[in-house]
This record gives sequence, structure tokens and C-alpha cells, in this order.
Amino acid sequence: MEPDAQSVEVERMLEILRKTMPFQMVSDALLRRIAALGRQERYERGAVLYDQGDKAGDIYIVISGSVEHALEPGINARRPVQVLGAGDVFGWAALLEKYPHRLAKAVVMDVAVIVRINGDELLRLLEADPDAGDVVMSRFATMITRDYTVPDLIAQMRGIHRKMHSQDIQGMNLTLYRILQWIKSPRPYLMVIGIALFLGTWYLFVEVWKLPRFQEMPGLTVVLKEWLNPNPVYGLSLYTAEYYKHIGVSIWRVAQAFFLATALGVPLGLFLGWSRKFKEYVFPVFETLRPIPILAWVPLAIVMFIATESAVIYLTFLASFFATALNTMLGVESIEESYVRAAYCLGAKKWQVFRHVIVPGALPFIFTGLQISIGVAWFSLVAAEMVSGQYGLGYVINTSYTMVRYPTIIIGMITLGAVGYVTSAMVRILGDYLMQWRVRELALGGQ
Amino acid sequence: MASRKWGGTLFWRGVLSIAVFLTLWEIGSLSKVWLKWEMFAWLKEMLILTGWTKNYLPWIGAIPAPTEVLVAWGKVIGDVGYWHSWYMSCFRVLGGFIAAMAIGIPFGLLLAVNRTAFGIGFPVFEVLRPIPPLAWVPASIIFWPTQELSIAFVTFLGAFYTIVINVIGGARSIDTRYFQAAQSMGSSSWDIFRRIILPGTLPSIVVGSAVGMGITWEVVVAAEMISGGGSQIGGTSGGGLGFFIWNSYVGGSYEQIVVGMISIGIAGFLSSELLRALGHRVTPWLRLR
Repeated sequence: MEPDAQSVEVERMLEILRKTMPFQMVSDALLRRIAALGRQERYERGAVLYDQGDKAGDIYIVISGSVEHALEPGINARRPVQVLGAGDVFGWAALLEKYPHRLAKAVVMDVAVIVRINGDELLRLLEADPDAGDVVMSRFATMITRDYTVPDLIAQMRGIHRKMHSQDIQGMNLTLYRILQWIKSPRPYLMVIGIALFLGTWYLFVEVWKLPRFQEMPGLTVVLKEWLNPNPVYGLSLYTAEYYKHIGVSIWRVAQAFFLATALGVPLGLFLGWSRKFKEYVFPVFETLRPIPILAWVPLAIVMFIATESAVIYLTFLASFFATALNTMLGVESIEESYVRAAYCLGAKKWQVFRHVIVPGALPFIFTGLQISIGVAWFSLVAAEMVSGQYGLGYVINTSYTMVRYPTIIIGMITLGAVGYVTSAMVRILGDYLMQWRVRELALGGQ
Repeated sequence: MASRKWGGTLFWRGVLSIAVFLTLWEIGSLSKVWLKWEMFAWLKEMLILTGWTKNYLPWIGAIPAPTEVLVAWGKVIGDVGYWHSWYMSCFRVLGGFIAAMAIGIPFGLLLAVNRTAFGIGFPVFEVLRPIPPLAWVPASIIFWPTQELSIAFVTFLGAFYTIVINVIGGARSIDTRYFQAAQSMGSSSWDIFRRIILPGTLPSIVVGSAVGMGITWEVVVAAEMISGGGSQIGGTSGGGLGFFIWNSYVGGSYEQIVVGMISIGIAGFLSSELLRALGHRVTPWLRLR
């Protein structure tokens, strides 16, 4: 064959390929590479290209002539038998995910010129350009369901394997990716510098230069030695059971107060926000009591609750309760009036409005309130434990001072900060998790 | 808000609400009197069944009645020591608060404006922030030479974190387009700072200081209680309202505890209102909304 005739042939093949359903959107460059995979063949009338159940290897594109394509009955195609002409693509079973065998019988009706492309080779070519490959594969799927009336379930195309791209990393990979990005940014190094500066200043001021007021403070190495000492000088370190008992007692108190405050504060806040009358009758008392600092309650709480334990819990509860109730109320008031009206117009009962409009509408504010609430709970717990109570981190700090165990004060402070941080983070993560719907809604609204 | 004025429904409902609250408080507190009466013997027996052996109602019965509180208040209102407590607490709150503003606002602005400063300073700030201010009390007493300074330091810490966080948040929430517009019209960095960052952050500074003021009152009371009042000038109560309360508790005059609590409530409320009015004045453009 003369070169000129060959290139004419290729041009004709490209012309046909460009019109086929799967390859319509493909760029010329890629189309040429696809065409290069093709082997053009001529078949006489009555030739059987493949039968049902054969192993599927190639896909076929009709250049001229016609082919009868009969799908096996088990597939439940609406039109199982079709006559295919120029530009039709068949033999697509070679690209299906679950059926590596032929689902149809293809018999040549008129003398036909057909291009055969190996499915595996085509897939490999498409993987080199995954974005275009996805388009081709999804157009294959559309063609199979639309033109061959095959159920969606069968038209599952083989996947395009792609190299990792930053924009389509998901799940675990996303976390890994973020960590990598974080390490690449200057932030972790600045953070290390910042903390090193802080600790270095502490160390130098107190232990090396012994500056006037600083030398009485416990130094960095003294605190660390004490903290990591199996036989602590002042009786409290990571190795003593007492240390964990103090932590446990503090957490248990905060937990009790926090749950009590949530159980009482959220309903009160909901009713305050929901019923104007209720608010007008109850809110003035609430507002009269609220400016009194929680810590001013300490002596009264000791008098009221004979047991110190309940006095401490009461004080911790009180701070959380005000924060939770107030935020819940603000949350209800932030709900757009039209939502409530719409629900009533559609025939919702009072209870239904409360359950399906008021409560979910106030939830974001409630969780903000809970975050504040856990913070103030620790704040007032420390004060309550310092003034009264036995065990607990606040108690540790205060008794360490009176008994001149200065390093233990710092151990108590750091522990308190860490435990407080962890509990706040837990509340925040829980809130974020439960509020995913809202974030999604905001994202959809474009905010 | 027409009904908020004298004689409106809202007003009377509020009055009624507080009146009912006070009456219930009075009745509850006086249970030490009426629980002895013959006609309430059944109630007492029920309480004994639940394990309550005192001759008053649980919790509420231990609190002095409003009338007793009023009487006690009448006694101390002429006392110099009482007013000195007010003065001391207000002085400490103001001192700590102004220090927190003076250090917190520039610090917050620095972190908000400079990325490197933020990278270095913010992690340390975040590590220290979860430690409640009151946990600093003993360390602060060790460090500072006078008790007055140690109380002021703890008070300062209480407001400092809130102000810094609010300043950073406020500066970060400024629309980037303002900076771009200003830069494209040739403003210097100082102009941007003076005309965009400062006014843009001001509302958050106001909010932050209002919240910080509340915390300051919380902290000052506790600090006075824990550290034992600081300088004592004359009478039983010379060291601030927190010490006034603590002293009343130690001295067993429970009515005075409530007097002290209410006084602090009033003081806190007044300072918050003052701050709100001040904030209103410095951010006049927000009033239009």
C-alpha cells in the first residue's frame, strides 16, 4: 500500500472515530494515538465476530457495512437485537468492570470494514491522560445504557488508575497530605522557635542568671526532674498514683457539673427563647443573678451544701449553667421567624415546630455555649478546689503553695492546662461532628 | 421596646418575677422558724426520712433571708471599711484591666499583622491559655514582691487572653479587598494600619474588653479570697469585696456574705454597662446598623 493511501485511510478512520459516541470529546492528539492502536479489518457477510461467553479482548468500531448485535437474554436489555452501522461501537464488554466475557453475539450482515482496538491497550492509553480517560469511560457507560438499553448495574466501566493529584486525595490520604503541607510551611519551625524561646527564657532567667524575682520561682529543670522522678521529692510526679487520683477527681467533678448544667441549661434556654411570656417572667431573675461572679458564691455554697464535694460541684455547675442557658436562648432567638411561620402554615403542631425547627435551629449556638461552658467549668473548678475541697488539681496547686512545694505548683498548672485543653477539644470535635450538616449547608449557600 | 419603660407590661412582669423570687427566698430562708411549727411536722418527718437532720429546709434554708440581708446592708452602708472594699476591688480591676488592654491590644495586633510573630508567639499563647488564671495565684504570690501586685497580675491574666484572642480574630476578619484597594491607591503600611486595621479591629476590641471585664471581676474576687485580702486598712473589711465576703464567712455573719455578693454583682454590672457605653462612643458607625 502506498504511503499516501495509508494516510488517507488513517484520516478516514479518525473522521469516523470522532463521530462515535465514546470518542466525541477527545482531543485530536489523543484520538490519533487511539487510532494508532486500531487494526482495520474486512469481514465477509455471515462472519461471526464473537459469540456470547467468549473471552472479551477487543472493542470494535464499524467503519462501513452493518453488523447484527444480539445481547444475551439474561441481561434484560429492552432492545436486545440491533443492527449497527458506520460509527457504531460494540464489543464494549472488553471495558466492563465485572464481565470479562462477551455478552452478545455479533454477526456481519453486509461486507464490513471494522477497526479493532484492544481493550487493555486502550485503557493503558487513557490512564496516561486520566481526565480525558474519565470522559471517554463515562461516555462509554452512557452509550451502553442509552443505545444498547442495558441496565446501569452492568455498565460499570473499568476504573482509570491515576497518579496521586493534590486535589483528589481523600480520607486518610488527606490527613497525610495536610501534615505534609504543614511540615513544608514555616509554621512548625516558628512554633518550635516560639516554645524554645519561652522555655529558654524561663530556664535562663530562673536557673542560669538567677534574676532578682525569678530566682524564687521553680526552674524548668527542677520541675521536669520532679515531674519525671519515680521518687519525687515533693510527693507528686508522673509515677505516683496520687497524681492520677487528683486528675481523676477534677475530671469527675467537671463532668458531673457539665452534664448537670447541660441537662438543665439547654431546656431552660430553649424555653426562654421560645416563649416570650416565659422569658419576661423568668429572665429578670436570671439577669439579676448572672452578674454575681461565680466565685463570690464560694462561701455561700459552703454554707448551703454541708458536704464540700457538692459545694464544689455546685460552683462549677453554676458557671456552666449560665453560659449554656444564655447561648441556647440566643440560638433560639437567632432562628428566622419565617421558618417558624412556614412550619405553622404547613400545619405543624406546636410540639413539631419545637422538635423540628427550634431545637435544630438552636444547635449551633448550643454547641458554642457548651464550649464556653466547659471552659468556665474548669475556671471555677480551680477556684472552688482552691478554697474548699480535697483532692483535685486546684487543691494540689493551693496546698503545694502553703506547704512550700513550689515545683508541684507548676506541675499542677501544666496538668490543669493540658487536661482542660483536651476536654475542650473533645467538646469542640463532638460539636463539629454533629454540626456537619450546617457546615455543608453553609458551603452550599456559598458562605 | 416601648414596654420597657415604667409601667409597661414587660416592666411589671420583671418586677413580679423578682418579687416572686424574693418571696420564695424569704420563705425558704425562714424555714428555720416555721419548720418548728406544729402544722409542718409532716414536712419535717419527710425530710428526716430522706436523711436530713437539720431543722431547716435543705440548701435554701441555710441562706440568710432577704430581709436579714437588707438589715445587714443598712449596718455596713455607713461603714468606711465597706466602701474601702469597693474602692480596693474597683482599683484592682481597673489596674489589671488597663494593663491587659495596654499589653493585649498591641500584642494581638502584632500577631495579627506579622506572620512570623504569629508563628512564634501564638503557639506559646495557646499553650498557656488553657491554664485558668486562678491557677496562677500561688505562682504569682511567689513571684511578685507585694500581694497587691500579685492580685493585679492574676486580674491582668484574666482579661489578657480574651482581649488578645478578640483582637486577632477581629483583625483577621477584615475584608482583604480593603487592603487591596488601599494598596492600589498607594497607601503606606502605616496608613493601612491606622485607617483599616485599627478601626476594623475596634468592634472586636470592645467585645473582647466587655467579656474581659466580666472575667476580671471573677478573678479579682477569687484572688482576694485566696490571697487573704492584701493590705488591710481599718475595720474588719479593708481588702476588697472578695475579702469582705471571705471575712464575713470566717466571721460567721452570713448576711454580709450576701451583701458582698450583691455588691460585686452591682459593681460588675455597672462596669460592664460603662464599658458598653464607652464602646458605643468609639464605634459610632456601628450604631447605624
